[in-house]
Amino acid sequence: MSETPRDDLLRTAEIACEAALKAGAEFADALVEHGRNLSVSVEKNAIKSTNSRRVSSVSVRAFVAGGTGWYSASTTSEAAARDAGRRAGELALVAEPDPDFVALVAPEPYPHVPALYDQSLASLSAAEIAAWITQSIESARGVASEALVSGEASTHWREAALVNSLGVRASQRTTHASVYAQVVIRRDGGVGSFYEWDSARKLGDLSPAGIGAAAATEALRYLASRPIKTATLPVIFGPLAARGLYLGLCGAASAEEIQRKRSFLAEKKGQPVASEHLTLVDDPLIGGGLASGSFDGDGYPHRRVTLVDRGVLQTYLHSNYTARKSGEANTGHATRVGIAPTNVSPVPGAKTAAQLIAEVEDGIYVALGQPSPDTASGQISALVDAGFRIQKGELTYPLEKTMVAGNAIEILQGIDAVSSDYREEPGLIMPTIRVRGMRVASGE
Amino acid sequence: MTPSAIKQQLERLREEALRRRVEFAEVRYAASTHSALMLQDGRADRIGAGDRAGMGVRVLASGAWGFASTESLDEQDWLASLGDAIAMARVSAGHLAEPVTLAERPAIVDDVRTTFAKDPSQVPLEAKLAAVRGFEEASGCAACSHVANLMTVYNDAHQLEIICNTRGTLISSESVRTLLWHAITAQNGSVRQRATEVRAAQSGFELVEATPAADFSAKAAKRAVSLLSAPAAPAGTFPAIFHPSITGLLVHEALGHNTEADLVLAGQSILDGKLGTKVAADCINVVDDSGLPSSWGSYCYDSEGTPGGRRVIVEKGVLKGFLHSLETAGRMGAAPSGSARADGFSHRPIVRMSNTMILPGKASLEELIADIDLGILLRAGQWGYVWCEKGQYTCHAGEGVMIRNGQLAEQVRDVSVSGMVLETLANALGVSRDFEVQMPGNCGKDGQSMPVNGGGPYVKVREIVVGGQA
Repeated sequence: MSETPRDDLLRTAEIACEAALKAGAEFADALVEHGRNLSVSVEKNAIKSTNSRRVSSVSVRAFVAGGTGWYSASTTSEAAARDAGRRAGELALVAEPDPDFVALVAPEPYPHVPALYDQSLASLSAAEIAAWITQSIESARGVASEALVSGEASTHWREAALVNSLGVRASQRTTHASVYAQVVIRRDGGVGSFYEWDSARKLGDLSPAGIGAAAATEALRYLASRPIKTATLPVIFGPLAARGLYLGLCGAASAEEIQRKRSFLAEKKGQPVASEHLTLVDDPLIGGGLASGSFDGDGYPHRRVTLVDRGVLQTYLHSNYTARKSGEANTGHATRVGIAPTNVSPVPGAKTAAQLIAEVEDGIYVALGQPSPDTASGQISALVDAGFRIQKGELTYPLEKTMVAGNAIEILQGIDAVSSDYREEPGLIMPTIRVRGMRVASGE
Repeated sequence: MTPSAIKQQLERLREEALRRRVEFAEVRYAASTHSALMLQDGRADRIGAGDRAGMGVRVLASGAWGFASTESLDEQDWLASLGDAIAMARVSAGHLAEPVTLAERPAIVDDVRTTFAKDPSQVPLEAKLAAVRGFEEASGCAACSHVANLMTVYNDAHQLEIICNTRGTLISSESVRTLLWHAITAQNGSVRQRATEVRAAQSGFELVEATPAADFSAKAAKRAVSLLSAPAAPAGTFPAIFHPSITGLLVHEALGHNTEADLVLAGQSILDGKLGTKVAADCINVVDDSGLPSSWGSYCYDSEGTPGGRRVIVEKGVLKGFLHSLETAGRMGAAPSGSARADGFSHRPIVRMSNTMILPGKASLEELIADIDLGILLRAGQWGYVWCEKGQYTCHAGEGVMIRNGQLAEQVRDVSVSGMVLETLANALGVSRDFEVQMPGNCGKDGQSMPVNGGGPYVKVREIVVGGQA
């Protein structure tokens, strides 16, 4: 198979659009997808189930005076596409007008984004996928014989075609693979657990071999966790936890949330929302990137965008609708139902993560957690799922019943370092981030 | 295709599975239609609907599970899926710890459907829109000049599941669910606060007609506005009282997931090995009841065709049972509890909760509060999660009220709390006679989303970590 889907998917999408227009819509677009998922799930070091899912769908949006009608169905037959288009058109006729809607996107050339599809990955058998996760079990037990591994290995391929009534015809074929292993170790009355994962669009980017061992090694470090005293302390967010922090910022930067006055980032464009150490870039054009693609959910060409430059919010995340409503440039962040970032990465700093830890006299390290702010208030109140006490520059013991809290902008403005080294996944770099001081509640 | 034709096609697939000598096969058709409308800032400018249908087949061959699904309704595609499922089982069989054994259950042939008064599909869109607009107006009135944004969502769904297995079971289950959700963002200068309310049930449009705005959207509006001037919650360890909505989160996240027998067998539950032992204070009695009339999480039969019902999990603090599928019951020598649920046709059934609750006691809220010098009442439960293997959980409250010298004092803003499951349950000091099961939501597990409900009385605990800022 090539990277270009079959023409019949484009034709099916056209049929859906035509039906919507025939029903009375002024504009319409349709997305048609089909593909296959293979997955092997593991429970307590043995395969639990092997699964094959064939998936197909059509979703149609129709517009009358800006009012939107939508219909989705789980089939790609021409008859179903025609029916979905008609129903979307009929719903658009009864939706109330939205004067802020101008038009759908017009055709534009799409950037070429390489390596989104890998035939060798799409051709893998379930037995080959099973080998990834069984390797994880073996490698975890190589680290600790009592390790209990649960998890999943999976692949999928998709073909998608997006068409609109202004002449947009976009299509894409993609593959994806992932391996996830959670390891639980019970030893000396304690319970240590951790997870590790790897994802890729190309087989060559996937390294499943060491996942189980890595998770087991980490799990052993969390056996004897305990609480600390409530205090205000420096907090270092490891690569995975830090990602929750800045993705939360991206969610609040959605232009839909801004225009609806639901976000704490309203009126903050051009303003400092973080310290000068934080620069965030969203780049959907990275070859083989996990969230890469040539076009967004409106069929608008993707582009690289700097969201935060040395702490200053540069732009909101726009769809076609929000960009036209505000008169700002479309950043190409539409999904079919809203707005979302793609491959968001911070620009690395000057010191290594080890150096950031070594400089902390008394603080905590958050390895896993979900420190995302409430979009409206900007408040963060989150459990440290896995973390360590830092004393005199060293990680000393694992934490339990420990929470971090604060105002998102104050926390982001309190970032005093982003590490130079980072975890890397296709299209993403994930450095460690240090915050000068946060309220840390715990149970000692 | 008519349900009758679907049944016949399922039965032919079952015959083919038997002909291919699998140890067990379950072929399941699921279909749903839904409609949705959203009112934002006074305009219902987004209206939608959809349908979804397909078949999933799960086979036990060579002692191992294989599963395949398709969105096609073509019989040849179903046969191909059966072949896929058998091939998948062969892969599983190569890495099996022990052959799967299923608990015995008598075959059941039945057709069931939930009852409702007003079929949503027969209610004109204008009537739905008028009701939703009424909720929005009530919220706007309550919040007055503080309104930054109002959003009200209406959804209804009709679902059909037909289960056919090689033991002779053939069950058709139809349900109708209706949901109302309201969110308000209130603003005062640069301060924004958001509050939400949800009403959801196995019901027709009568749910909407029976929902007074004062107890729904206007309630959210008043909370959002009052939070604008509320201080942040404190940080540290405090005695706490959980509102029934927080109790619902606690019993679902902290205890409920740990009672799912698949997690117990996976070595991921802190309740492994604790059956028959004390896991909570005497005042804690917990049940999971899929027979609660009209509740969001209710059902007659699970996705394996086992009847649901009321399952006692904890009685006077003693762990009495786990939630089981056919497989977990077979492995643990227990009776299937009708707790295997699948999210549509494209997923295999796994062990899930339904309506999970702590049972009420005799105390009044005032009595629970009376001897707390400094503590916090947590209300407006929003979300939570648990790390089952460690028993560490967190719940998020939309608001809190400080307790000072045995009295409710000032309101504080939204805050998350955390604790260790067994500590919290052992530290329960009392439960109220006031009781409510009103936390309808969708629970995620292994990539599947299922409707569940939860609740209980006010619960007083000796201490909990409050992740505040003050």
